[in-house]
Amino acid sequence: MKNNYLRHKIKVISILSIVILSLAQVSFAMMSMDEKGMVMNANSDNLPKDCQKISEEVNLTVHAGQKYATKFNGKMFAFDQQEWNVAPCAKINITFINDDQIRHQLMIHGLPGYLYPEGMLHLELYGQGELHASVILPSQKKTYLVHCELAQHAEKGMKAQLKVGGGDGDLPSIPALSAPVKTDIYTLDWMAMKWGGILILLVSFIIFYVGRVLFLRYLKMSN
Amino acid sequence: MLKKYFIFGAGLSALALIILLIQWFFVLEQHARAKPPATVFSNADNANVEKPCTDEHVEWRSAQEIEGVSILASPVCEPDNPYTIAAATKGTNNVSMSTLMQSHLAQDSIVMGEDLDHDGDPDVIHIKLEVVELNGFSPDGDYLMNTYNIAPGVQPSLWVYAPKMQGMAVKNFNSRVAHPLLRAPSPVIRVEQGDKVFITLENTHYLPHTIHLHGVDHPWLNSEGQDNDGMEEHAIFPGKQHTYEIQPRHAGTMLYHCHVQTAQHFMMGLNGMFIVEENRPNNWVQTLNIGAGQVRHPSASVKKQYDQEYDLHYQSLDKQLTRIPQEANDPRLISQKMSRDYNMSTSTENYFLLNGHSFPYTLRDAMIVAGENENIKLHIANLQRTPIAVHFHGHKATIMAYDGVDAQQGTQITRDVFDISPAQRLDLSLKTQNDGLNSYGAGLWMFHDHVPTGTTTDGMEPGGNMAILAYKKLLDEQGMPKMHEGMFNDVFNKEYYAKKRPIWSTGDFAFLLGDAGLVVPENGELIAFFMVCGMLIGLIMLLISFYIRKDHEK
Repeated sequence: MKNNYLRHKIKVISILSIVILSLAQVSFAMMSMDEKGMVMNANSDNLPKDCQKISEEVNLTVHAGQKYATKFNGKMFAFDQQEWNVAPCAKINITFINDDQIRHQLMIHGLPGYLYPEGMLHLELYGQGELHASVILPSQKKTYLVHCELAQHAEKGMKAQLKVGGGDGDLPSIPALSAPVKTDIYTLDWMAMKWGGILILLVSFIIFYVGRVLFLRYLKMSN
Repeated sequence: MLKKYFIFGAGLSALALIILLIQWFFVLEQHARAKPPATVFSNADNANVEKPCTDEHVEWRSAQEIEGVSILASPVCEPDNPYTIAAATKGTNNVSMSTLMQSHLAQDSIVMGEDLDHDGDPDVIHIKLEVVELNGFSPDGDYLMNTYNIAPGVQPSLWVYAPKMQGMAVKNFNSRVAHPLLRAPSPVIRVEQGDKVFITLENTHYLPHTIHLHGVDHPWLNSEGQDNDGMEEHAIFPGKQHTYEIQPRHAGTMLYHCHVQTAQHFMMGLNGMFIVEENRPNNWVQTLNIGAGQVRHPSASVKKQYDQEYDLHYQSLDKQLTRIPQEANDPRLISQKMSRDYNMSTSTENYFLLNGHSFPYTLRDAMIVAGENENIKLHIANLQRTPIAVHFHGHKATIMAYDGVDAQQGTQITRDVFDISPAQRLDLSLKTQNDGLNSYGAGLWMFHDHVPTGTTTDGMEPGGNMAILAYKKLLDEQGMPKMHEGMFNDVFNKEYYAKKRPIWSTGDFAFLLGDAGLVVPENGELIAFFMVCGMLIGLIMLLISFYIRKDHEK
């Protein structure tokens, strides 16, 4: 087993060197793998063009798992938090923890392509476990999509947002935070209004009736 | 007062009459008299014609050797990824990182261990499967996620077992198309007789599932005393995993499928073939055959007796059932709609798939490509709701095994239609010997389920599980059958399966058998119609003015 692990490490290093060599022009393109998971495009050193220096360093621990969805009705997977706020040019050190026995990912989209190929940071855990990665964000006020790219995981709740400098709005369908674009339809609970509905009905009728009587009286008087 | 209501009513009914008249003239049909309408041509509209073959991975077609695994040639349009084949044969723990990366499998998806019988091949095998929804709902817009077309423009939602993979479930980062590893049917699992196999189901889906190993020799409980039969009451919940343990003593073509809400989950696509190959020395079998079809690395015993081997997975889908996961996002609503609102006993079959595709997509990856004088092994499994009657044009094949049990000499029947009940399997030996019995010679011979609906896609012919047994020399350089070009523009078109194009919209017959146009109303009728309309309008105006005058006189 130990031997196997060593062999694997050698493989990891060799592929790493291949990847780095083939992407020589983007020397910061990074990918690392081990038995538990992989990290793509982590960046703890390179400043975005629009940042003079790192403004703040934030440590974020993000849990992923089925159990975090239990507080949201009608969801199946979720992160433990749905929103993070950081300052422009912040460096975030992510600890990603998967509490499930299945694969989960943490992907941040929309990052500058010159630092993060395809504009994304990709963390993936093959099962229960933990990964670490850093990322330096640009100065722009922006809301970044954070989600798991497994089929139906984001749709069923594993979706969050990272706001830099207050962000530029909310993304849709984040559990308990924003409405979906395409909504589900549920049966209306009439009884939730109890007698309220009937009361409102009675009052409106009386208002209408009294108004009508007063109006007719006014007409007669003006005649 | 009363008069006011009367006039109002008269006005309304006159309006209704006018609407009725308009409908009668412009919407309803009319008997054509001496001159029926002319043919309407729609062949100018070719915007939706797809390339028959996108020719994406030319380099995957040739015979090659990767990681010491010899991989047979696959001259079809969409051959299987040879790196996935190499990783599935050697184990994801025994291949180089570059092969693993190109296979897209997770590094713990197929782990091969000890050689128990010291015959040169690993016998302890750990396989990890996930559950994936294709053509699923998206709360973020009016589109589907992880799309997979079974035919041009046809996207029913599907649930499949998929090998544990790494990376995104889409083809690339700005695409909604499912990753090529995620497709129908669920992969064919292949192990060697006597192997100690651990199958772990990692439930990545939002509903509970199991794996039932149909016909595969397995103890009822696993070594930890837990469920090993995939029973409904031991469902694996989302986010959880469970390992089934087997050591099959008997070789043959078997199945695996989900046994939770079985009628629904089976018909959603959670079923696959499980093949146990005979134990032979130095016998590395191709553990997964993604998308079924040709086995590009056949086992030692198959290689000895046959020139080629194919897995044929027949599957059917119900369009009402497969629409349900596209109608809601909340798993509770999906479960309610699927298991209670929808009555499975009224289910019908609308789509018929061979190896995950319906015609014409079967031409891309579900053809049998033969040379002359070959002996080809076919494993056929019926994973449909209804029986199939598989017919090969121009050939008579011989049954070698029923439900994974070898046929005795007297029951090795040679015939040209093979009736297979739901969940049954047949192993066939198909010989391409031009002797008037086994084969009538080289050709592009169709093979299909002879139940008439089997070759339809939601009622559209040609569709369904229609495929071709093609002799190599009759394929073009892209692996597509020659002499079919005339038809490609018609059927590689989503408009055709959306029923928006006539059956004969191109070619010599188009002007005879294209769509009939609209019939022009005859002049006398037109005059009468507009006269009636005019008079009615006049009548209404008359009534209104009459009322107004009456009012003024007061």
